[in-house]
Amino acid sequence: MTNWKEKMGGAFCHLYLIILSVIAFFPLVWILMCSVKSSGELTANPTHFLPKQFTMENFTHVIHDLGFALNIGNSLLIALFTTCIAIVISSMAAYGIVRFFPKLGALMSRALVATYMFPPILLAIPYSLVMAKLGLVNTRVGLVIVYLSFSVPYAVWMLVGFFKTVPLGIEEAARVDGANKFQIFVGIVLPLVMPGIVATAIYTFINAWNEFLYSLILINSTDKMTVSVALKSLQGAEILDWGDMMAASALVVIPSVVFFMFIQNKIASGMTDGAVK
Amino acid sequence: MKKKRNYDYARWIFVLPALLIVGILLIYPIFSSLYYSMTTKHLIKASYKFVGLNNYKDILSDAKFYKAFLTSILWTAGSLAGQLLIGFSAALAINRVKIGKGVYRTLLIIPWAFPSIVIALSWKWILNGVSGFVPNLLVEMGLCSELPQFLSDSRLVFFTLIFINVWFGAPMIMVNVLSALQTIPQDQYEAAQIDGASRVQQFRHITMPHIKIVVGLLVVLRTIWIFNNFDLIYLITGGGPANATTTVPIYAYNMGWGTKLLGKSSAVTMLLLAFLLFVCVIYFTVISKWEKEDK
Repeated sequence: MTNWKEKMGGAFCHLYLIILSVIAFFPLVWILMCSVKSSGELTANPTHFLPKQFTMENFTHVIHDLGFALNIGNSLLIALFTTCIAIVISSMAAYGIVRFFPKLGALMSRALVATYMFPPILLAIPYSLVMAKLGLVNTRVGLVIVYLSFSVPYAVWMLVGFFKTVPLGIEEAARVDGANKFQIFVGIVLPLVMPGIVATAIYTFINAWNEFLYSLILINSTDKMTVSVALKSLQGAEILDWGDMMAASALVVIPSVVFFMFIQNKIASGMTDGAVK
Repeated sequence: MKKKRNYDYARWIFVLPALLIVGILLIYPIFSSLYYSMTTKHLIKASYKFVGLNNYKDILSDAKFYKAFLTSILWTAGSLAGQLLIGFSAALAINRVKIGKGVYRTLLIIPWAFPSIVIALSWKWILNGVSGFVPNLLVEMGLCSELPQFLSDSRLVFFTLIFINVWFGAPMIMVNVLSALQTIPQDQYEAAQIDGASRVQQFRHITMPHIKIVVGLLVVLRTIWIFNNFDLIYLITGGGPANATTTVPIYAYNMGWGTKLLGKSSAVTMLLLAFLLFVCVIYFTVISKWEKEDK
């Protein structure tokens, strides 16, 4: 009796998870399917799943005629620079907090949670005013600086969790051998937390790649636009071509999803450990 | 003596760059906004004057602000409840099944990686009132007599937005709850089973106490995130139809970049921040009470 009940429960769980998986996965599949259908097919057969005729037309149109390659380049550049700068600053800070400011550390973690509370729309106003004063409106440099505002606190927070796992004993041994703080940090601690740093870097990259609001407010010429804003403006352009939009969406979402798959096991521990423990 | 001082400098070097970033990019803007919220600052015009609390008075007597505030509360409460329900139940289900854990986890996590613009475009296309997959499927199956307008029917649009936000946010809850569940020692469940405890009792007395702090923290983070979220609604409905989905961030954006009144817009965002601070104080009081109970 209990065994039968257990089995029924298990089967119900599978059914539930299958339904959720289909809903979770469907938009990605649908983007990919629609990106290789012709515009005629998209409107003629809205519920037909597989493409009747495979075409790369949408992709070539988006990349060549609409100049989306340039936007991909912009986003790539901005996300890469943001990630590199943020990771250098944040790993130093996370190590500093864990090792040298154990008491202040808890307070600093709390302060970082507090920065998460600042509405991006609030920050957007001073950013646009300051960037205008500095002449950095409509520049990629300006956007990288602004992106540090959310990537540094988040990266520090995630990294604190990873740095806590490094045993102090190893560092003590190096100190006895005469190594200074920076030598210990670079030579001993960094290699140990490298997997955590890589995961944090990927997450930072995805967030910068996906960002929309600041990019909308600070960039106004097509040649400097990031993918998010370019996609948004594509939506406003002349006639709505869903085939083009799905192809462009595929180009934007695939890197995010693929990178995310690599770090999916690290992401949970990074997000809550830093603050909870 | 001298050596000790050097030691102090070195450790500050590690945290200084991050402190500078936080100071310049997060603390300064708050004060700057506070200042501008008391001026007639305009997006284009150079001159502006100090008007004290006039902007706040204007906003607090604007019926549209209260409507946006109510919409924000409903949008946050609805999305949060949905995300918790789905995220939590999915985590429990994955924890229970014996095969396919990794596959389900990987499939269910995908929405988390989506940029908001792609979330908006893909769902707008799937739910499109003319050639969308779902409306046409519902008609073909005979469940609807005409194509449902999920994004322009004012009775449906709010629920559609909440559905999309749950789709996007539930994976984060799921992954974090799942990792918290895995830290619970299995022998506690075995002991409970021997004592004849039911699954519900095991959940109440073993599972919940172990994960409630993580869940509490997630609720705080998600509340802030959803309340502050601008992208999703702006990109999916733009606050429409007829302001039906205008939340406070959208209201502030329209004021700052639509009517170009940055001063007033700053006042709106300061009110938004004040409200979030208030909510967080309550949440953290509860969580620290839980933490004390644990010790």
